[in-house]
Amino acid sequence: MEVRVSQIAGEPATKDFVEVRLPAAGAYLSVLRTATAGLAARLDFTLDEIEDLRIAVDEACAILLQQAVPGSVLSCVFRLIDDSLEVTVSAPTTDGHAPSRDTFAWTVLSALAGKVDSSVAEDKTVAISLYKQRGAGPGSA
Amino acid sequence: MRNGDGPVRDEERGTREPPAERADGPDGPRHTAEGVDGIPEQARSHPEIGVSSATAQPGAFPVRGGPPGPSAAEDTGEEPRAREMVTGGTMSEHERNAEQDAQGAQHERNTEQDARGAQHEPSDRHVQHDPQDRSGARAMFVELRKLQDGSAEYAELRNQLVRMHLPLVEHLARRFRNRGEPLDDLTQVATIGLIKSVDRFDPERGVEFSTYATPTVVGEIKRHFRDKGWAVRVPRRLQELRLALTTATAELSQLHGRSPTVHELAEKLAISEEEVLEGLESANAYSTLSLDVPDTDDESPAVADTLGAEDEALEGVEYRESLKPLLEDLPPREKRILLLRFFGNMTQSQIAQEVGISQMHVSRLLARTLAQLREKLLVEE
Repeated sequence: MEVRVSQIAGEPATKDFVEVRLPAAGAYLSVLRTATAGLAARLDFTLDEIEDLRIAVDEACAILLQQAVPGSVLSCVFRLIDDSLEVTVSAPTTDGHAPSRDTFAWTVLSALAGKVDSSVAEDKTVAISLYKQRGAGPGSA
Repeated sequence: MRNGDGPVRDEERGTREPPAERADGPDGPRHTAEGVDGIPEQARSHPEIGVSSATAQPGAFPVRGGPPGPSAAEDTGEEPRAREMVTGGTMSEHERNAEQDAQGAQHERNTEQDARGAQHEPSDRHVQHDPQDRSGARAMFVELRKLQDGSAEYAELRNQLVRMHLPLVEHLARRFRNRGEPLDDLTQVATIGLIKSVDRFDPERGVEFSTYATPTVVGEIKRHFRDKGWAVRVPRRLQELRLALTTATAELSQLHGRSPTVHELAEKLAISEEEVLEGLESANAYSTLSLDVPDTDDESPAVADTLGAEDEALEGVEYRESLKPLLEDLPPREKRILLLRFFGNMTQSQIAQEVGISQMHVSRLLARTLAQLREKLLVEE
């Protein structure tokens, strides 16, 4: 597992990101859940939003893990865009299917995160992006 | 006579019952009980209260209901006051449990007396709580202390005393019922507290047993919450932090109409954000969930039941069950051939010999029967 934090000199905060990479296995999801919650808490999300994010990230990873290549690396990138947190989870998959949008998991995901996107790259890497709006007014952190 | 039991009862008696009636009749057995507890304290307070009830009664009584009367409390000073407070505490309990608890019945009567008709009182009282009234318990304690520790009589009397006060325990446990611990556990813990207080109670002090037992039992319950409440033990600092966070969260949610942020919580509690996060994390350790707990309600399967792979043998069960009636329907000859072929493991020619037909015929019959069975199985589905 590794955590990378961008260090782009002189760039504005919009280019900053935090990336967590972990083995694409369910056992490691708790690490990501905790990291998500910790990050969101420091970004001044409310307790309810933190909880939503935690579940949403978990759910997105669960969708990915269904078709992820065993032994591959699951990557999760957090970016702060204006007043919302963008979380992108991606993993190489065996099938390269975009997650279907009429499943229960997807419904849960969009209910929790507000806006959800998915994409499939050439190399069958599937990515799911969540955008969680910060509700508590201008951040005071 | 029973003056030592407490000012309230004395006062009520003063007005409700003519003194002559008290001295004789149904009160007989109680005399002996009272004879046993020759407690100095009681003897001391006796005349004082007697005087006070005689003098202050008529005027004071109508007002009486909850707090101790000025006359009685003043007369005997600190101790009756304390006694009064505790009996006051147990009173509400007994109001709920009245039917189980003779003591409770007595208490209740004390409180309700103003409301109820005075004429029921004497008979009611004498019939119901003769064996289990307060002085009865007191006498039992005095006797218990005289018996040798470990003897059969001692154990019996001790059991009796514990059992007699179980309703008190149930009430006290029920007070803590909505705090996430099963009521049965609480009752059990509280009963341990009761047993401890039965063992430690000193009747010579002149305090009611319930006065002594209530704090002990409550303490035992609180200790249980302290030691066992958290599924994973966290430092006391965090336990308290969690409580503060819960309160602050509720308050801020109410104030802003949304859940608070970590920053707001930190500001409110005047601690650092890191500490808030630590407190929030530690809250996860408070309760754990068994894998056997149903998912949402009692109807849904437990988490443990949803794990695991499908048992492929299950399909076999289905086939076997649906095949059974079909096999029953086969004509005897076909059934025999099937049996010999698949259970006797015989070749077709062996079967031919056994049944007395040609091997070709056996082959044809077998093929036909199996085809029929297959077809019917599919239709059945």
